Amino acid sequence: MSGLRDRLNRLRGTPEPAAPRNEPPAPVQSERPALPQGFGAIGVGLEENEAGPFLLRRIAYPLPYRHGKHELGELLARAGSLLPIAERQNGSSGPIDPYRLLFLDTETTGLGVGTGNVPFMVGFGYYAGNAFIVEQALIRHPGEERAMLTYLLDRMKDKTHIVSYNGRTFDWPVLANRFILNGWRKSGQSPGHLDFLHPSRALWRKTLPSCRLGTVEEARLGVRREDDVPGSLAPTLYFQFLSDGNPEHLHGVYAHNEKDILTLASLAVHFGRLLDGEGDEEAILESEELFRTAAWLEQHGLTEVAERLFERLAEREEAGEAGWSLPLAARYKKAGRFERALPLWRKFAETAEGAAAPAVEAHIELAMHYEHRDKQLLTALTYAERALELAVRRGILARDKVKRDAERAALQHRIARLRDKVSRERK
Amino acid sequence: MNPYTQKAESVDEWLELLRSKRELMDNVTFWHTEPAKPARTAELPFTVHPKLAGALGSKGITQLYTHQAASFREVSAGRHVVTVTPTASGKTLCYNLPVVQRLLEDDSARALYLFPTKALAQDQVAELQELANLMEADIKTHTYDGDTPPTVRQAIRNAGHIVVTNPDMLHSAILPHHTKWVKLFENIKYIVIDELHAYRGVFGSHVANVIRRLKRICRFYGSDPQFLCASATIRNPREHAERLIGETVSLVDDNGAPTGEKHMVFYNPPVVNKQLGIRRSSVLESQKLAALLLKSGIQTIVFARSRVRVEILLTYLQETVKHELGSKTIRGYRGGYLPKLRREIERGLRSGEIRGVVSTNALELGIDIGQLQACVLNGYPGTIASTWQQSGRAGRRQTSSVTFLVASSNPLDQYLIQNPDYFLGRPPEEARIHPDNLLILLDHLKCAAYELPFEEGDTFGGEKLTDLLEFLSEEKVLHKVGTRWYWMEQAFPAHNISLRSAAQENFVIIDQTEGHRVIGEVDRFSAPTLIHEEAIYLHEGVQYQVEKLDYPEKKAYVREVNVDYFTDASMAVELKVLHVDLEATTGALHRHFGEVTVMAKPTIFKKIRLRTHENIGSGPIHLPEEILHTSGYWFSFSEEESAKRSANDMQMALLGLANVLIHLAPLHLMCDPLDIRVVPQVKATHTKQPTIYFYDRYPGGIGLSQRLYEKHGELLEEAERLIRGCGCLSGCPACVGPIEEVGLLGKELAMSLLQGMKA
Repeated sequence: MSGLRDRLNRLRGTPEPAAPRNEPPAPVQSERPALPQGFGAIGVGLEENEAGPFLLRRIAYPLPYRHGKHELGELLARAGSLLPIAERQNGSSGPIDPYRLLFLDTETTGLGVGTGNVPFMVGFGYYAGNAFIVEQALIRHPGEERAMLTYLLDRMKDKTHIVSYNGRTFDWPVLANRFILNGWRKSGQSPGHLDFLHPSRALWRKTLPSCRLGTVEEARLGVRREDDVPGSLAPTLYFQFLSDGNPEHLHGVYAHNEKDILTLASLAVHFGRLLDGEGDEEAILESEELFRTAAWLEQHGLTEVAERLFERLAEREEAGEAGWSLPLAARYKKAGRFERALPLWRKFAETAEGAAAPAVEAHIELAMHYEHRDKQLLTALTYAERALELAVRRGILARDKVKRDAERAALQHRIARLRDKVSRERK
Repeated sequence: MNPYTQKAESVDEWLELLRSKRELMDNVTFWHTEPAKPARTAELPFTVHPKLAGALGSKGITQLYTHQAASFREVSAGRHVVTVTPTASGKTLCYNLPVVQRLLEDDSARALYLFPTKALAQDQVAELQELANLMEADIKTHTYDGDTPPTVRQAIRNAGHIVVTNPDMLHSAILPHHTKWVKLFENIKYIVIDELHAYRGVFGSHVANVIRRLKRICRFYGSDPQFLCASATIRNPREHAERLIGETVSLVDDNGAPTGEKHMVFYNPPVVNKQLGIRRSSVLESQKLAALLLKSGIQTIVFARSRVRVEILLTYLQETVKHELGSKTIRGYRGGYLPKLRREIERGLRSGEIRGVVSTNALELGIDIGQLQACVLNGYPGTIASTWQQSGRAGRRQTSSVTFLVASSNPLDQYLIQNPDYFLGRPPEEARIHPDNLLILLDHLKCAAYELPFEEGDTFGGEKLTDLLEFLSEEKVLHKVGTRWYWMEQAFPAHNISLRSAAQENFVIIDQTEGHRVIGEVDRFSAPTLIHEEAIYLHEGVQYQVEKLDYPEKKAYVREVNVDYFTDASMAVELKVLHVDLEATTGALHRHFGEVTVMAKPTIFKKIRLRTHENIGSGPIHLPEEILHTSGYWFSFSEEESAKRSANDMQMALLGLANVLIHLAPLHLMCDPLDIRVVPQVKATHTKQPTIYFYDRYPGGIGLSQRLYEKHGELLEEAERLIRGCGCLSGCPACVGPIEEVGLLGKELAMSLLQGMKA
């Protein structure tokens, strides 16, 4: 059996995957002429093409390799499910083939997308055979840029999408600048994007301290990094390397960039699972995140999965207090499912009664509901009157005077109308 | 004169009225009349595209003025051009004609227009769009500045035929992101630079470097655009254009536009105290003349030299004419008003709804406010060119117009009003720039390196480039590989470099009378003296008191008040010599040129009663010191010379001489009077001798002190002539200064010091 695998691998041109134990594989040793010891030690070799030399490091991860809680190989089966993200980000998209994705992360000399910001390391990952390959191209000085870009373009040839974290607004525009500065002009179609910053924000903006990749991977993907060099230090380390030529300054940058690329693949698995309706919903402890996940799934056309999550949310104890209960109720109202909306509003209204700065939206919704749909005018009037009282109580704290006055005027108007209706009914 | 409305039918009629008023005519020292000039025209060249000719025809243009025709000819011949014309002479057609012609012939062609301010850019877009509509041609003109919404920016970058912007935007947004502008830079045929004269001094030196960068990027994309420049009248338009754009330029200055008769009236406020040489306030006299014009229904612009003066004049005028006109018809206009308010005032002036405006030189530039009938200058604007520019705001093509120059009591004003030939007989000033100021050059070199790497053998300005690049490599800003220098730093250099010394660091003024409302802004250099705590800040004629100045946050909190005084702050200046570059000795006098450090700190402010201008109180100002490294020129007197008089006499003599020199210096340098400063010291820290220092008010210097060092002799002779020629007894504001300042013998002491140094 293993003989067959060996043969297949040789035919496919992929290196022998390491043992199935989850230990990072060693980089593929270069056979090119020797570089300073500090480069050789981490498997960096010299690469050359028609535009000149640059440095390349190459690591092949066997597919069972787990980065955090996900196996890299799982994406082979799930990539297709990422299509809704691709469609949302690119307008339209062809099907997603895992072998045609390029996972990309650059390390640059500065911030922003100006013409003076140079990507000195371009790291990318892709699936080949039964391995996930990470390649890291580095320029020893800006003169090697053209060779590195040539190599990158060659690697991009058969790829349909770039998978990144903020690559749509940062990494890719920075690279596009470099292409133009090297005299190349855009030809053919630009690659599509699968930029995971946007979905990450949609899900975790409220529940994680930040949406930086490091925070997200640790909190949600179970990835632990030890002795990680923060990305923000990369430029300084590169400048040190430029000034004294010691490759050891860059070891941390190599490791950091490599992990970022693995995390991209792991994140892809994570989103793939969610979109397949196989996300680990039990693990989502915070209702806010559950609500956001459901809303996100709904946005991506996965109505049924979303519906399931919404239902679970509505049943939760803390419904009525949290920020999501009003939008959720509004959703049910729109769908005409008042049996779902009403308890949410009631709970919310109950909570508001005891709050220091009460929100009156639920009271107003209830007043509207009882006036127009349930025709219980007295109940409607009670809610409207309570709403006005609460609005006055909150008034002292309210900042926006114009909005506050408008809200009160509308309530007074509603109360007058309801009183009028009630008295007419009595007659 | 209409006996019922008291309105004059025309300026001519009003001038008749003026001539009949003895009490005013007594103060008129000089009356110059420039005759009306008929139009000189040329046929529309047959090469002009029929669509364009048609559109011009429908606007009533069937012929060109001679200067328009000449510039079309020069541009067609492929030359860089600078056109010099006064206000309202059809200047924009000089560049729009060739540009639009080219765009009609070649849809892929592009043009870039540069205006010094956003407001001017917007006027221009409106005009070009109108022309495009008339031709039914698809020529897309867009402004691209800080106000352009991000959603349309990409469309403008890809599809705009004409992009209208300002140098600041070019510097910080377009050039550092040139890869987003491939379409523009690959196809750029023309670069239009209007208001060329505005790019002088420090600002001009920066802009010259921005243009060096712009040309470098054009070369990278394989284009070689033609520069079409337009300038108001200055002495050296061709030289200035050539220095600014670094190319040989041909000059078109044959103005063929017609003008009505123009009257230039010099008005010297009467002396109220002969002995002290005190004249009545020029502010009050300007107000009197302006009120007289406005009440007769003549649309008038008043120029004042400072923001405070603008506000004071505005308050007085609104009060004087409120019964006749209502205060909304007289408005103020100056930097610090928010753009929306400015646009409203410009519109009001064009439509004639606003009858009068009081402005700083903010309205000197070609903002379209139509042509007014009369102009009152409160004080000499500082340069001959500015005077003509401001006076050009009044003057229509067919009817007469009048400009009053109301002299203040400062020596320069008095010198001019008594020597009208100096004004009329002399060509206007030169515009000077110093693009190779080391600090400015280095700043832009960084920006340029950020935009594209430098190659050995490249040029950029006059300094030896290799040395500068090597310096930046040592500083680890650039990294040299083979024959190239690459940008290798995390920073975005353009962010820290402002083309206008204070533009980036404005103080916001927040009115907290009712809620919080931003009413205006003040630049950093003016802040210590204008909006220190307790200062009275005037805005649109309303008084506000500064309650809190948050210096680190750059915010001033003010509240509306109603008081009968304004405030005036003083600065204490200390000066240290860092390095002497040049020195020479003539007679008893040593002069030097070198690097100096100036430390300025506001000290106290005075409260000055409105109208009587008496001092009614004062208070301290607590603000940090500002430090400036710049170049300076100074001269000191020998031991023997100082031994001749007491320390106190020497003090007075120096002060008197300094007062005269600081007013004459800008005249010789042809620079803005605010760009050069003077400090007299009776025992200077550096020389231990009585010394008068001059320094450039810009970090690193802009060549002014150096020119003073060279023109040293001439300057002193002029000073002697001025003091000798002054009619006062023992010193007055028009020469060495008022006797309260320089003492009873001030004039004599200054004179003897001047003579002593010749001996």
